[in-house]
Amino acid sequence: MGIEALPQPLAAYTALAALSVVVFGLFLRVTRLTAGWLPYRTWLVMLPVVFVSLWLGPWAWALLITVLSIYGFKEFARATGLYRERLFVLAVYLAMVAANTLAYFGRFGLFTVVPMWGVALLTLVPIVRNKTEGMLQDFALSVLGVVYFGWFLAHLTYLATWDGGLGLVLYIVLATQLNDVVAFLVGKLFGRRHWTTLSPNKTVEGSLGAFVFGITFAFVNWQLAFPQLPWWGVLGLGVIVGAGGQIGDLTLANFKRNVGIKDFGNLLPGHGGILDRLNSLTLVAPVAFHFVRFFFGGFP
Amino acid sequence: MSDGRTTPSAELPPFTYAPMPDVDSSLRERLGQYPRVPDITFDALRTIARWTAVGLTKLQFPIEIRGEPPTGDRVALVANHQSHLDSLVILAALSERRRREIACLAAKDYFFEKPAVALASSLFAMAVAFDRTRYTELRRWTRILREQRRGTLLVYPSGSRRRSEVHDAILFVLASSGWSVVPVAIAGSAKAWPVGRALWRPFQPVRVTFGPPMTATPTKDLGAALAAFWSANA
Repeated sequence: MGIEALPQPLAAYTALAALSVVVFGLFLRVTRLTAGWLPYRTWLVMLPVVFVSLWLGPWAWALLITVLSIYGFKEFARATGLYRERLFVLAVYLAMVAANTLAYFGRFGLFTVVPMWGVALLTLVPIVRNKTEGMLQDFALSVLGVVYFGWFLAHLTYLATWDGGLGLVLYIVLATQLNDVVAFLVGKLFGRRHWTTLSPNKTVEGSLGAFVFGITFAFVNWQLAFPQLPWWGVLGLGVIVGAGGQIGDLTLANFKRNVGIKDFGNLLPGHGGILDRLNSLTLVAPVAFHFVRFFFGGFP
Repeated sequence: MSDGRTTPSAELPPFTYAPMPDVDSSLRERLGQYPRVPDITFDALRTIARWTAVGLTKLQFPIEIRGEPPTGDRVALVANHQSHLDSLVILAALSERRRREIACLAAKDYFFEKPAVALASSLFAMAVAFDRTRYTELRRWTRILREQRRGTLLVYPSGSRRRSEVHDAILFVLASSGWSVVPVAIAGSAKAWPVGRALWRPFQPVRVTFGPPMTATPTKDLGAALAAFWSANA
């Protein structure tokens, strides 16, 4: 059966993911890369969670994104100490639930004003708490939570509700994850020149390799994931993933250095916390969404 | 008279971050830590799980309560242990305020090795981890208990459902830390959910007896006094 006969790209991607798991497992076994087993085992849990929710439908995907947003923000709040201010945290959680609910129901107008309503809700917290000390910092961190971790990630929920948007979701999720791996591997093999204090281990070679991979991977996935797009749309998506993924990665690395932590958590053995896994996706999802929507009006 | 303007400070204070104390701990460690670090998710789940567990326990077992449940802060309920049901039965016999803050000392090597068991123990039975394999554990608990200004502990000094003799060391730690030792005798739970059985037997009567705080009892005699109390209320 040819790929074009499949009802949607999900079946093909599921098969590819299963094949990748087997191949990578064999690779680890043959090369005896013991350090790779821990993240591999975590992938064995993460991949089924992602694919099962996509197979179940947009509601399950929306639920997963909501839970990931909330847990990701929780890691951020715990790392910065914002978690001590429960009202701020609860307000951000509420905004996250609202953003994903509106995205699920396709209410674009309301979805785009979630950050405004979220921030408006946050303004009430210092008044209710009747407190000034530390409130500016907590308010600022909460705004970041509403916009960056909540609203940005909720674009993934919205994407899944578009006709044909599933291919875009799959491409963005897989490409951002693979982008990290490619940057790491190319950097390890060919990396010589370090280029940023935000993440001192990053090399020019690794970053360029990931950028080129992002574009190449977009064209490889073109006919499977988003055949409606013209070549320059595919190129645009590749650039967004290749560059945006790394910018998202560096942004979260910057946050961690400011706070003074290595990882945002340890829920995912071998990977760190949820945010350490979502760092690229958080930025790429909204940029890709609005790129496709602006130039192509979504997928009709 | 003020002109309504304020003088800006020469340098604004920078943002300072104070991560939560357990930010580097694993999920299992966070579930088993004492004192508990406030956590919206865990606290909410614990409330739901506790209400469910207590509700189901009350529904399935006729519980007779004798004596006065404890009052005041820094209270250690010291009970005999013969069944997994013991903690739930004691929780059912206490007030909601006491249930919310109670921490049940549970063997780390048994209850906090697997995440699923740790989650269930922490959420349903309010368990916290006690590492009985480390010889420095009692010293650690002494320090913790001395620092705590309030709280309720549930302690099984026999350390196991299969043993009945009292380990004096934990009693000494409680007494020397200034915690009030309240004896609790449980009867009937061994029949309701015997050791080694996968499932419990519903509708078996269970009795919980609270004794008066053992403030006047010398520390060295606590073990014997507890054994006598349990025996009298068996």
